[in-house]
Amino acid sequence: MEVTRMSSTASRTYLDQFPAEAKVIKAAFWSSFMALAIGGLLGLVQALHRTDVLRFIDPADYYTVLTAHGVLLAITFTIFFLVGIFTWAVTTSLDRGVVDIRFTWAWYIMMVVGTILVGVSILGGVVDAIPTYADVLFTFYAPLQAHPAFYVGLVLFVVGSWLAGADWFRTWWAWRKENPDERIPLPTFMALTTTLFWYLCTLGVALSILVFLLPWSLGIVDSVNPLLTRTLFWYFGHAVVYFWLMPAYMMWYIMLPKLSGGKLFSDPLARVVFVLFLLLSTPVGIHHQYLDPGIAEGYKFIAMTNTMFLLLPSLLTAFTVVASMEHGARQRGGTGYLGWLKALPWRDPVFTGMALAGLMFAAAGFSGMINAGMNINYLVHNSWWVVGHFHLTVGTAVALTFMAAAYWFIPQVTGKALWSRQLALGQVLLWFVGMTFMSNAMHRSGLFGMPRRTAEPQYQGFNFEPAVGTVGEINAQVALGAVLLTVALAMFLLNMVLTSFNDDSDSLPANTYAGTLSGPEDSPAVLDNLKLWTAIAVVLVIVGYTLPLASIVDSGGLFGPDISGFQLAIETDPALVLESVREVMP
Amino acid sequence: MASATEQSETDQVREIGHEEYDPIGTAILIGIYFLILVLLWLFMYFVEFLGNGPTVVGALLTVVGLA
Amino acid sequence: MNIHTYEKAWLVAAMVLIVGFIATITYGAVGPGIAMIDDDAGSIDPNEISDHERFGETGVEHLGGNEYEVNVVAQAWSYSPSEIEVPAGSEVTFYVTSRDVTHSFTVVGTNVNTMVVPGQISEMTVQFDEPGEYGILCNEYCGEGHHTMEGLLTVVPEDEFDLTELSTDAPREVEAGNETTINATVSNGMQDGLETTATLEIGEQQYERDVTIDGEGSAELTFDVDTDALGEGEHDWTLTVDDHEESGTLSVVSGTDGGDTNE
Repeated sequence: MEVTRMSSTASRTYLDQFPAEAKVIKAAFWSSFMALAIGGLLGLVQALHRTDVLRFIDPADYYTVLTAHGVLLAITFTIFFLVGIFTWAVTTSLDRGVVDIRFTWAWYIMMVVGTILVGVSILGGVVDAIPTYADVLFTFYAPLQAHPAFYVGLVLFVVGSWLAGADWFRTWWAWRKENPDERIPLPTFMALTTTLFWYLCTLGVALSILVFLLPWSLGIVDSVNPLLTRTLFWYFGHAVVYFWLMPAYMMWYIMLPKLSGGKLFSDPLARVVFVLFLLLSTPVGIHHQYLDPGIAEGYKFIAMTNTMFLLLPSLLTAFTVVASMEHGARQRGGTGYLGWLKALPWRDPVFTGMALAGLMFAAAGFSGMINAGMNINYLVHNSWWVVGHFHLTVGTAVALTFMAAAYWFIPQVTGKALWSRQLALGQVLLWFVGMTFMSNAMHRSGLFGMPRRTAEPQYQGFNFEPAVGTVGEINAQVALGAVLLTVALAMFLLNMVLTSFNDDSDSLPANTYAGTLSGPEDSPAVLDNLKLWTAIAVVLVIVGYTLPLASIVDSGGLFGPDISGFQLAIETDPALVLESVREVMP
Repeated sequence: MASATEQSETDQVREIGHEEYDPIGTAILIGIYFLILVLLWLFMYFVEFLGNGPTVVGALLTVVGLA
Repeated sequence: MNIHTYEKAWLVAAMVLIVGFIATITYGAVGPGIAMIDDDAGSIDPNEISDHERFGETGVEHLGGNEYEVNVVAQAWSYSPSEIEVPAGSEVTFYVTSRDVTHSFTVVGTNVNTMVVPGQISEMTVQFDEPGEYGILCNEYCGEGHHTMEGLLTVVPEDEFDLTELSTDAPREVEAGNETTINATVSNGMQDGLETTATLEIGEQQYERDVTIDGEGSAELTFDVDTDALGEGEHDWTLTVDDHEESGTLSVVSGTDGGDTNE
């Protein structure tokens, strides 16, 4: 039972429509899958190590592994998939190709080069032949200092993504000339608003790297202000989570209704939601710094208020998407108050994967609400609770949606039918089960103080005291969950590889997305005024960040009080450690 | 409306337009979600957080304490 | 815009939820008085920590009444001091800074938790009502030994707590018949005066001395020991002031065996 339209005469895949673009998208997807494969496997190594189930790496190498896991999954996997989906969304919904395919390849290659630079400099942490050090984790807080190649690679990757955004805008401008009076099609609208806040937020991290961290790692400047670069990181660091979430939202809005057999409940509300994300994604980063010294409580409160209102678009999305699914189910014959749920196409891995991802996101929404709360942050800050939270968001809402979407997209861009729907269905279910074990246990252990980012959280002087259960039981659940997730990951990759070699190219679905019950004609034209929303977003950022940044620079100086870089390795630089110990000896 | 939007469904048994559609099931589900959020929030804040032993307090409490 | 009634209702409910969350957090700030780490304690040059008035000497300091200050320096991969003792029923203000990279100062199983950013001083005031023992850990990655960074915070019953320090200066060996003294310095780290008794036990003998020390003061005590009464041989001694004890051994030797060494 295929949900999408299947009549072979009318059916045109994306490959048939845009063969040149399909090649770039396919390349972006495979870059994304490779990051997922490596990053995911490293996740298993960490889960087994820190729970003391199986330790075969040096504890010092744990942090190299963790850096690679974070960067590959949070940045590389998500953003490569995003550029693929957005390129698909813009070209499909505008029904025209990109303006210049060479430009499209250029940004893709730039992102690949950036990724390789970052990847190799991280690898230097465990391979002696590579003289780089980048055990600075995904957040690269100064004065931990990475090799310049790490920062250069990040810049190339981000600039590549900027050019991708420019590509989508160019395509849209070209379309607008041909269609001056038409509303922006919803998928393009989503891609453009997301790109706009990406430009806004990456300014912070670009500033942090280009003005401070890179010159500092090259020895051009001697010192940095750690609180300033940290604040600039989080200026970007929260918006980036919405950046990688938006393609998943796009899938829920324009694919889930179609897969359910219905239509998107409301186009206007979908536009409102994306406008809200454009406005509010950036001036909230200080909620990652609730426990930082040097930032006044008032600024933290403002960041909290913005963050709490950022719940609104997600809560609206929950309603609109579920209502669209219900519409599909009722059109397929579903009845009753909740009986319609049975009429949904649960045997379709694309649908089920996305629906389960959405369900997990509802749970993630709750732990996110706790994280957004200012003073309750004392309870959960930097604990394993937070790790549990973002394994539900980026690790499931995003990753599972992407994997489910890949079951539809890879046939679209390769012209080859999915190798096994049964394997795909089993895969999305297994991911859901594995993540339930792992994330639930992580959340619980954060509540009794289990720290995140810690190789061996078994301490000499004290024990953790869970109110319910034991540390051993929680660790067992995390390890079990990680194993199940790794198996699910292997099933996904196997299916993708075999699909690429599949000879069967019959009965491919057409390249379509969901229609709307209440269409763009119902939504005020002002929603499409991107200049207006960008201007308001800039004002909100200025309001939210000017005073905190000014006070940080005022108290700590633009370049800090002579703070040099640290590469704190046990074996490579014992003198440094010894010296710092000696200094405090009475 | 772009041409790529889905126009019809192969296994559709009926067409339901915007005016005749009330997402009652969604309303029920989202109501349940709302209740879960409220109850868990109260539990997390007042039991897990405020019950979690010593907490960082400001000058405000000192004033109250001395008064 | 054409929004369904149910969705309008949900919009209202969502706003109620958001406002309710903000209201709860605000209640936590004004009701139980939970304060956030902020910029009150100012900045610091990490290279000057050892000369800093606050962090030159780390540890617990009494401010008067039930108020204490604890000054802590975090560095890769330890805290100075690594063990902290405060009394129950106290109000303790922690000042924490970092000598190198970003750390945290996190008291396990409590809501006492702050980032420690180099160049900044984290200040937090905490009331400890009940005795207890808590681990301290660093929850911000700070290099390869990050997971070994820990400390201990002990809240002792009020009557078992003081900031008295006792040190002694006594000869190891004395010639029989010679006069000798065991000297002690008792310092009182509390702001309040200290009235207590110092007791020296040596062999069968016992000496007692009443001690009165002002707040933030110290006293020198001298015990004259009668070596004749002790007789030749090894004599263990113990000097006790409240719960603090110092002990040693005094050898009384015959005149030909050696002199009065004091090392």
